Amino acid sequence: MKPNTVSLEYSNALMYELEKAFYDERGKGARFRTTTVGREFFNSKCLPILKSGEIDHIITTVRSLLQEEGIAADVTYTGEDRLLRVRVERCLHRPVEDSMLAHGIEPFTCLPANLIVLAIEEKLDRPVELAEIKLAEGACQLLLVIFEKRPSLD
Amino acid sequence: MPETYSLVEATLKVIQDRRSIREYSPEQVSDQDLDMILEAARQAPSGENAQPWRYVVVKDPATRKKLGALAGGASGRRFTAEFVTNKMQERFASLEDEAKKKAAFEKLTSGQVSAFLADAPVSIVVVGRKDVWDLPYDTSAAIENILLMVTALDLGACWVIAPCIDIRDEERLKDLLNLPEGIKAVSIISIGHPTRPHRPRPRLPIKEIVFRETWGDPYYKDEA
Repeated sequence: MKPNTVSLEYSNALMYELEKAFYDERGKGARFRTTTVGREFFNSKCLPILKSGEIDHIITTVRSLLQEEGIAADVTYTGEDRLLRVRVERCLHRPVEDSMLAHGIEPFTCLPANLIVLAIEEKLDRPVELAEIKLAEGACQLLLVIFEKRPSLD
Repeated sequence: MPETYSLVEATLKVIQDRRSIREYSPEQVSDQDLDMILEAARQAPSGENAQPWRYVVVKDPATRKKLGALAGGASGRRFTAEFVTNKMQERFASLEDEAKKKAAFEKLTSGQVSAFLADAPVSIVVVGRKDVWDLPYDTSAAIENILLMVTALDLGACWVIAPCIDIRDEERLKDLLNLPEGIKAVSIISIGHPTRPHRPRPRLPIKEIVFRETWGDPYYKDEA
């Protein structure tokens, strides 16, 4: 047994089965319980290098991190009003989404999306909703909605 | 002369008369009524009789305001996401009245569909212990008991799940109410005196929802 390594195929297969099991229990509502998946990774790797709340800086930082960690090849975006359209190229978790779709389930969670959401919420205190994950050839198209500042509960 | 009902008739009437009430008069809910409602909740069934439910009664206006903000924000996000992906338009496709459709979209995407919590005289936050097997089912049974007792008392209530659905909102709600880690926030039930009567919402025909022995064979057949 090789120490400290498991295959990507094995990891993605487990992720798919976990997501599928969760979807089977919670249905469409499962998406709302996975919005913070990746938070530990975000806190340890992403948050320390976020210097500003500029959307461009946030996406650039997430892109660099995902590239350095070998998670995705590229992340690009366009913005219009409060909508953010993000394209994630060659994500290594893509087989998870493909398996979900093959079983008739709309993909509902995405680590790169969560990193962007967590970054915007942390730096701008503005809530963000992942509205859609669409699968394209070699890429995932994400649609995010950015809202006004969160109400204070203090 | 008061109307009289058999127990069966009274039970069905309470079930059929229940509505989701989002507008309340300023009149407070009496302590006696609240006691009855909480006793109904306590008597719900639970797996292994685990009784995982706990209830936080919120009357403080400042906390109610925060509950409303949290719930409104959560609903607004969820429904706006549905709107920008055109799924909401598909869901309402059969509604032909454009003015009604627009009003419904506005009510949902603005979060007002849940933000009314701020104006409810009292809210019961239903939470449950995670260290049991059947938490969601047990607490749902308790919530239905609450709603039925509210109806029997001629009060109005609404079952609001918005601030408990997304894990991000649930975390804020737990902070607000000081809920410990081993407790899950399940739902908020707003209660008050309705400002007006509400019509029943449509229900699917019974022959569409009941099957005989296995899926697909209608239990209720069309008349020959």
